[in-house]
Amino acid sequence: MCKKAQSKERDVILDSITEGVFTVDLDWNITSFNRAAEDITGISRQKAIGQQCKDILRADLCETDCALRNTIETGKPIINKFVHIIDADGNRKAISITTALLKDETGKVIGGVETFRDMSLIEELRKELHHSYTFEDIISQNHQIQNLFSIMPNIAESNSTVLIVGESGTGKELFARAIHHISPRRDKSFVAVNCGALPDTLLESELFGYKAGAFTDAKKDKPGRFALAEGGTIFLDEIGDISAAVQVRLLRFLQERTFEPLGAVSSIKADVRIVAATNKNLEKLVKDGAFRDDLYYRINVVKLPLPPLRDRKEDIPLLVDYFISRFNRLHNKNIGGVTDEVLAIFLAYDYPGNIRELENIIEHCFVLCQDEIIETKHLPITFQTKEQSESSDIGKAVTLKEMEKIFIFQALTRNKGNRTAAARELGIHKSTLFRKIKSLGI
Amino acid sequence: MKIAIPVWNGFVSSVFDFAHSLLIVDVEGKQERRRSQIQLEQQAIPQRVNQLVSSGIDVIICGAISRPLAETLTVSNIKVIPFVSGSVDEVLEAYLGNRLAEPQFLQPGCWPGVRKRFGCGGGHRHRRGAGRPGKTDP
Repeated sequence: MCKKAQSKERDVILDSITEGVFTVDLDWNITSFNRAAEDITGISRQKAIGQQCKDILRADLCETDCALRNTIETGKPIINKFVHIIDADGNRKAISITTALLKDETGKVIGGVETFRDMSLIEELRKELHHSYTFEDIISQNHQIQNLFSIMPNIAESNSTVLIVGESGTGKELFARAIHHISPRRDKSFVAVNCGALPDTLLESELFGYKAGAFTDAKKDKPGRFALAEGGTIFLDEIGDISAAVQVRLLRFLQERTFEPLGAVSSIKADVRIVAATNKNLEKLVKDGAFRDDLYYRINVVKLPLPPLRDRKEDIPLLVDYFISRFNRLHNKNIGGVTDEVLAIFLAYDYPGNIRELENIIEHCFVLCQDEIIETKHLPITFQTKEQSESSDIGKAVTLKEMEKIFIFQALTRNKGNRTAAARELGIHKSTLFRKIKSLGI
Repeated sequence: MKIAIPVWNGFVSSVFDFAHSLLIVDVEGKQERRRSQIQLEQQAIPQRVNQLVSSGIDVIICGAISRPLAETLTVSNIKVIPFVSGSVDEVLEAYLGNRLAEPQFLQPGCWPGVRKRFGCGGGHRHRRGAGRPGKTDP
């Protein structure tokens, strides 16, 4: 068989493999790159061939502990090493790599071969299981959120109590976990408690624990969440829902950094950072006498306001892409996106349930969609009846061009006509904004 | 103006997110004045951005970069020129000579519209829709 035919046959075989495969010569230049490798990295074979493998794979170990280099130098294969790459879409992706030597017919080493599997699903499931979300999991190009990112390291470094405020579904717990994960407490526990989900008496024993004999069924000591969070962070969600009695005990902890389990005769010192969150207006609750003002001032040390999704609609296309990508992995589907019409409906909607609601809508679409693109017929029935009957300006728009016009107008209004500020908020260059203002006749 | 370039063995590091070493070049007009190098720890995005902000960086010229990191740098008023490859000296010279958009400095496989988005030109057409497994750089 001639060399050309052999090469073609080799490519066919490589392309039939579901794992990514590439080979390199002894100068680390890529000599073959299969279809699965294209899918995982997002880089076409045409562009990959001849390039240095580190510029194509873009893994976290390429420049420090290159697996192929180790294999070529020692002759030993590396099997199923877990690494992260940045794909052509700018996404961080988990993969598992295996390396081996590449030899010619005489047994002489002529390079190396690396096979790799996309481990995004495994990582997704691991994150779901351990709730180990980080900043990379917060999807936003919104200016307000990005500003929060820039102050986050200082907040994380400090030991101050943080109050995260925002409507339900805006990602308060995600932010709390992200703060914990970049704080010096990251190696200790992050304990989340939904204060609104537990009855008053149960919440008290849940938070502070109890001693054996404290009440009828207390057969043995039970440590509370504060004890479990020792050295780490406790996340008190729905803090606006706690009773006056729990408020007093929480206040005492914040003042003295000690607590007493139910039935205990002495206090326990605790090194726990509090991150609290609420979707209620705590200032109003203080005014109404439903929330202690001294506790409010103790927890309102650093306040992080999270904008509702309707105020960061520029993030909707990003979030839609993210959820589609995530559900593709979880449901083993191959949905490529949404139609412009569906995107327009998504942009027009106000999302009282915020990001969680958008996530649920897309999950609903995934159940119904057997095609490659999500269309209006896959949307929940409420959307199909209302579709564009929303009362907002955006709801009346039909085309993406009109939508763009409304967005730009709203951004200019919010920024009092300041085009530079509006461009920054929209995430586009100011000259692009000027051009759009002119072309759209705003 | 301070320009930062993540470096590895005299070349622009392949991925800024995973880079360990950062070259900082002080430039006045089109003239290079001083070079220094700092180590980058493996940090979360906000911490990495903070390190650059506190070092007074105005522009970062880098290889591949994740979207969240690029967005956060931009909001922190650091201009990002991503998907650049080549030797550090050549890249720096090309930047000062306004030649960085030349094809030899373009790392293959950059996300659609990235260079345009960050104001550094480039000929990649914008592509709609995402989340499609199997799509590759055009």
